Amino acid sequence: MTDLTLINEFARSAPLAKWLGFSALEDGEGLIFNLAYAEHHIGNQLIRALHGGAIASFLEYSSQAALFAHFGGERKIVTVNADVDYLSSARAEDMKARVRFVRLGRRLAFVEATGWQRDETAPVATARFRFRLGGPEK
Amino acid sequence: MSRADINPAVGAMLKSASDWLLHEHSLFQTLDLKPLLIGRNKATFSVYLPNDFCDGDGAIHGSLLTIIMDSIFGLAAFTALDELKPIATINLRTDYVAEIAPGGRVICDSECIKLRGDVAHVAGKITDEASGELIATGSGAFMVGTRGPNRESRL
Repeated sequence: MTDLTLINEFARSAPLAKWLGFSALEDGEGLIFNLAYAEHHIGNQLIRALHGGAIASFLEYSSQAALFAHFGGERKIVTVNADVDYLSSARAEDMKARVRFVRLGRRLAFVEATGWQRDETAPVATARFRFRLGGPEK
Repeated sequence: MSRADINPAVGAMLKSASDWLLHEHSLFQTLDLKPLLIGRNKATFSVYLPNDFCDGDGAIHGSLLTIIMDSIFGLAAFTALDELKPIATINLRTDYVAEIAPGGRVICDSECIKLRGDVAHVAGKITDEASGELIATGSGAFMVGTRGPNRESRL
């Protein structure tokens, strides 16, 4: 199965993926994840900015999806903790993300995710996650 | 619920913000937020955990806890202010210590532990309302006096 097929499988049964409007595609550099903007993602109605928690949720879910695909869907992925930095306001529009594996151990994964909107070189948020890996080891 | 220690101008804003969150904001209507305490430097809310935020295994996805903390921690930061100013999250750290099923409620306790210049430091936790079990802990920093809606940067 391709990474995209696995990610679609990962997201299909999760209500959170639907709430996020989550999807993935591939370009020459790897996987790109997408949050499809919806009104319920708004946190501050006055400035029409995306909710910081929705951004964090999208980056965490993207990281889990990338790990799920990397391990062929064979590992259970449980988030230990999350650190999110908000670099600028996120407009009421789609967001994209890339994920980087910093270190994949036997039982732990250290992952970074970066989210942007119109310009990948101007990220709106970055995050670091630590995941506990369960299930069979590769 | 006590707002006695909060600056009156900030208290009025908090009330309108709270009313808007509870009655008009689609995300927070889904979460059925119920304020239990809003006081100087403190905000405690009861929050419903809907199925919409489940992962593929049927448990609540941990990132909903981050959504809850970002929202309630922000309100705690507001209660520490002496004048009305916009705020924005600088960063947020969440530790997920237990799984929880949908359909129940949690309590989010938050406290603004220090307002240092234009940065508010907030810490808190989420517990299962029924059992009292600790579900998550968190801490965050919030920028006070952020720029308006027409600027690119929130900081």
